[in-house]
Amino acid sequence: MPIITYSKAINQALAEEMARDENVILYGQDVAVWGGIFKVTDGLYERFGEERVFDSPISENVMVGAGVGAAIMGLRPVVELQFADFLLTAGDEVFFKAGMWRFMHGGAFKVPLVIRAPSGGSGFGPEHSACPEAFIMHAPGLLCAVPSTPADAKGLLKEAIRLDNPVVYCEHKLLYAMRGEVPDGDYTTPFGKAVVRREGDAVTIVAWQDMLRRSLAAAERLSKEGIEVEIVDPRTLNPFDRETIVESVKKTGACIVVEEAYRTLGVGAEIGAMLLEQALPYLDKPFKRLAIPDVPLPTSQHLVNAIVPSEDDIYKAVKDLVS
Amino acid sequence: MNSVQMLEVFKTAVLVRRFEARIVQMAMAGELPGSLHAGAGQEICQIAAISALSRDDYILYGHRGVAYMIARGTSLASILADVAGKEGATSRGKGGVMHVVDVANGILGESGTLGGGFVMSVGVGMALKRRKQSQAVVYFFGDGTSNRGTFHESLNWAAVQKLPCIYFCENNGYAVSVPTSRSTAVADISSRAAGYGVPGVVVDGSDPAAVHEVMQTAVARARAGHGPTLIEAKVTRLHGHYVADQQTYRPDAELVLKTKDPLPKLQQTLIDAGVLTETQVTQIEADVQRQIDEAVAAVRAAPLLAPEVALQDLYA
Ligand SMILES: Cc1ncc(C[n+]2csc(CCOP(=O)(O)OP(=O)(O)O)c2C)c(N)n1
Repeated sequence: MPIITYSKAINQALAEEMARDENVILYGQDVAVWGGIFKVTDGLYERFGEERVFDSPISENVMVGAGVGAAIMGLRPVVELQFADFLLTAGDEVFFKAGMWRFMHGGAFKVPLVIRAPSGGSGFGPEHSACPEAFIMHAPGLLCAVPSTPADAKGLLKEAIRLDNPVVYCEHKLLYAMRGEVPDGDYTTPFGKAVVRREGDAVTIVAWQDMLRRSLAAAERLSKEGIEVEIVDPRTLNPFDRETIVESVKKTGACIVVEEAYRTLGVGAEIGAMLLEQALPYLDKPFKRLAIPDVPLPTSQHLVNAIVPSEDDIYKAVKDLVS
Repeated sequence: MNSVQMLEVFKTAVLVRRFEARIVQMAMAGELPGSLHAGAGQEICQIAAISALSRDDYILYGHRGVAYMIARGTSLASILADVAGKEGATSRGKGGVMHVVDVANGILGESGTLGGGFVMSVGVGMALKRRKQSQAVVYFFGDGTSNRGTFHESLNWAAVQKLPCIYFCENNGYAVSVPTSRSTAVADISSRAAGYGVPGVVVDGSDPAAVHEVMQTAVARARAGHGPTLIEAKVTRLHGHYVADQQTYRPDAELVLKTKDPLPKLQQTLIDAGVLTETQVTQIEADVQRQIDEAVAAVRAAPLLAPEVALQDLYA
């Protein structure tokens, strides 16, 4: 299998889907000639032309809203927001138009829209670092993908483009350069199926994207000390594969959620509540969350490092729990 | 617009006016929720504007009135079912009278957050342009709504991409209780078109022929690939913002109702022109009442939507 970057995997997914279906269009600020500020759309303008790949003005409301309008008419727009934070700039269009246009009109429409949202990678400052998963999960009607590997980045995006529902596709900025094996040929990764990235019996860690990478590194260290951690990567948060998490907790009896977003009412809060409802008899240890204390993310890296869960934090949290 | 077309506008306007009055009456009696924003005073303008469209053009609309749907051919019973939450409702109880939808008749729905239609219509325009068919999409909105950011973002975008979008503003001088002069720094909403390099036109909304004509020009422009037009029709809101609004903020409310109603004026114009007779008026009124009675009876007999419908229609 070829080894490519996460960024290239997204680019391939776009190229393949655009070649497959002429209803797929791609737009956003600087996506055409420049190839995207993170260079993810490189070469697509040259290949597919300005009718299908075009730059938009700095108008997030209309970028997303027009995507919904075009989607109900049968196009399959992929909108690149430069930063995931701007989902809130286009809040009405994301949450109400994309999330609810179908519902509030009694199912008269399909909304096959993909919003690409470069997320995380704190260090870009308070308004350019969001991991907006909890917002999306809290909004009925929006699907949410959080690919953690190049293979998933490609498979989940191809699936997102083919789905008839609006998808917020969170692509993590710190993973763009990550390399990994990507299957040859056409494939898609189904939504709603978590994957166990590492098997173990000591504790279940639920993590995705950069927090998954850090958790895997911490698990390596713990393994050397004889502590085997099981790590579940949910891959999509709506639909959300609760079963795989519960099954893992039945085996390990403990659960830590590691997330790169605010602690209060984050995804971890939902997972904790879900375990109380569905897995309380299996929990031998208190449920734990590692997340960002409820403060905006500063720009200076050493301040960021002080508050974003690190490999060390994860290592220590597991040690505390098992000892 | 010829006299036959004008007569059609009149007939539809009578139907709409009486139908809305019945909804209000039923709401007052507690049979229906009072969530209607009556379009009385604006319906001639709305119907005349739609009369310049083809069957395959699309519209998105604002919340004021039901003339849009009736002019496009949506049945009275289905609209009433929307209000009542009964089987047969176009949005299956999800949207009430605010979100009447009828894709077969080109009605693409309403954004409950005002001004959402601007951005939606840009997307519809993008799709129409890509299909390379000469269709247009019209968004009807109020003067107050033109202060949303979506107006500005979308008009710029539609202009730069030359999309077949028509912006149709019904300026009735109020946004709920706030007069336009206190919310909007320009006298004419249409003057804003200049900022986006598109034509802006003002028209008297009580004059169906004039409305029809400016719409025809805008449609031709859209079809030819020349981009959007901003039309502003000056209209009168005859009643309060919605059913229960007593209009305490509007000292001239009664006078407006007595003197500014364009419907009797149109009737007189048609009679003076020899296109309509008093006998015909009586017939039209009777015919309209019959249609409304039938719709009311059908909806009264229809079952309430089943509770499980609340959980449906979210995902495709
Ligand atoms: C974004 C948004 N803000 C406020 C409202 C509440 N609201 C409903 S109608 C209305 C007034 C609209 O005025 P205008 O656009 O002039 O239309 P008109 O009611 O006069 O027909 C307001 C403020 C809303 N529905 N959406």
